[in-house]
Amino acid sequence: MPKHIASGLKYLAAVKLKDAGESHQAIANELGVDRSTISHYLNGSNLSWNSIDVARTITELSPRDFLKMTEAIFDEPEQSRKIVNICQERNFEVNVEDSCIGCGLCVNACSMKAIKLESLKAHADSIQCCGCQLCIDECPTNSIKILEI
Amino acid sequence: MIRNLKEVKDNNFDITRSADEVRSLSFNDQVCLGCGICESTCPVEAITLNAIAIDARVGFETYFSGHDKISQNIKEAPDIQRISIDENKCVLCGMCSGLCPVDALVLTIDGTPIKEIEAYPHYNAFSEIDDDECIYCKRCETACPRDAIVIERVLPDRADLVTGEINVDEEECIYCGVCQELCPAEAIVVDQVTGEESIVIDKDKCVYCLVCKKACPTNAIKAICRACNYGEYDLDPAKAVVKGNSVIDSELCVYCGWCEGVCPTDAAKVKKPFEGSIEVDDEKCQACGACVDICQCNALAFPVSSGPGSRMEHVTAFNDYCVRCKACEKACPNDAITVLRTEVDHTPINSTTWKDALDAIKD
Repeated sequence: MPKHIASGLKYLAAVKLKDAGESHQAIANELGVDRSTISHYLNGSNLSWNSIDVARTITELSPRDFLKMTEAIFDEPEQSRKIVNICQERNFEVNVEDSCIGCGLCVNACSMKAIKLESLKAHADSIQCCGCQLCIDECPTNSIKILEI
Repeated sequence: MIRNLKEVKDNNFDITRSADEVRSLSFNDQVCLGCGICESTCPVEAITLNAIAIDARVGFETYFSGHDKISQNIKEAPDIQRISIDENKCVLCGMCSGLCPVDALVLTIDGTPIKEIEAYPHYNAFSEIDDDECIYCKRCETACPRDAIVIERVLPDRADLVTGEINVDEEECIYCGVCQELCPAEAIVVDQVTGEESIVIDKDKCVYCLVCKKACPTNAIKAICRACNYGEYDLDPAKAVVKGNSVIDSELCVYCGWCEGVCPTDAAKVKKPFEGSIEVDDEKCQACGACVDICQCNALAFPVSSGPGSRMEHVTAFNDYCVRCKACEKACPNDAITVLRTEVDHTPINSTTWKDALDAIKD
């Protein structure tokens, strides 16, 4: 069952990438599946519509639930990171305030690998941010602010 | 959720967080000054300064009963380390390590201590002994309150400095042993056992003082001192040089400046991380000695007694050898000591929070 949902999520990602103008081969490379599978997906075959419904519901959950569910469905963190990045509909802007002490807890917390430490301060890549706010939970100085834009 | 692991060994401990990067904070109680800078700057209030007032391990209960924190700590844990860190609160940001004036708290990131990472602030402090100037007199080794200095010296061969000749005429010698008793260098051994009499002179030990020759009742010892006969001309000055090697253990050094103060040749140089002053209010000081005990720099002492039976009335502070750590100020139960930390010399830093923390330890 989780495999079906994983396929559903890959299907949604494939559609998104297709809309963005990517070729079947590029999509296959990005998602780590055969080119023929991608072609099947995009031609509407080999996948139950129910799986796609479940997958779509997952993408519409709160950002944290979407991330956590996706991480649970995929074995590889690298793959769940890609799926979340491609399928997320919402955009966020992350600001790290000067009160940051550079402890690195947010770097560990971020599943999207969106945060890096530079000069004793965390720097977040808003493009990568999925809005899960796990970093905010960890931050000891309450220095991270995430806004939906 | 990644948890910190704490490993305690004696009075030292390590707190480690293992994720993509491994951060580890090590505390070395032996090196800790008890200054409390870590306690006051920790952004998550995870650090507590313990028996700051006196070295609790000395078991100094009777020292002063009026100071609650001291007596309580000694009662509860007579063998307590100078600071405690709550590993559940600690976020391993390393601020305590970056601001520790000595190497008592060291944060390593993936095995590299933060003092080797440029982004972190470092105090501009050093201590060094110039081998070209050093005469290996060991004054600094003796003065160093932390036993951080090791001077190894190689003396010239004595044989190169005193030369002469010495022989015994065994025909004349009566093996009386007078020479052996008088010899200041213990170079002569006389065996007086009847039938097995002998006399042996160790020429490596002999300093050619000629005492044996002068005292010999039978004039059996023939000796001459070349240095006396020819002056010092036959000595090669190069052979009289004391050679050596001087090492300061940077982990133990607290930059107190005693080595520089006692060095007769300006070979020892010390740059302190903090500048400032220390003063003792003689009116308030009750001569309890808490400050003398806590000070790792021997910067506080009781003056030499003025007469037999006279009572010490107050301590004396050596301003030159104080590192402005303020441990004594915190330790004093009578608020008799004022330490000012007017300059904190550190490398430039970008982070506002860290800069604020460094500014906050300045008076």
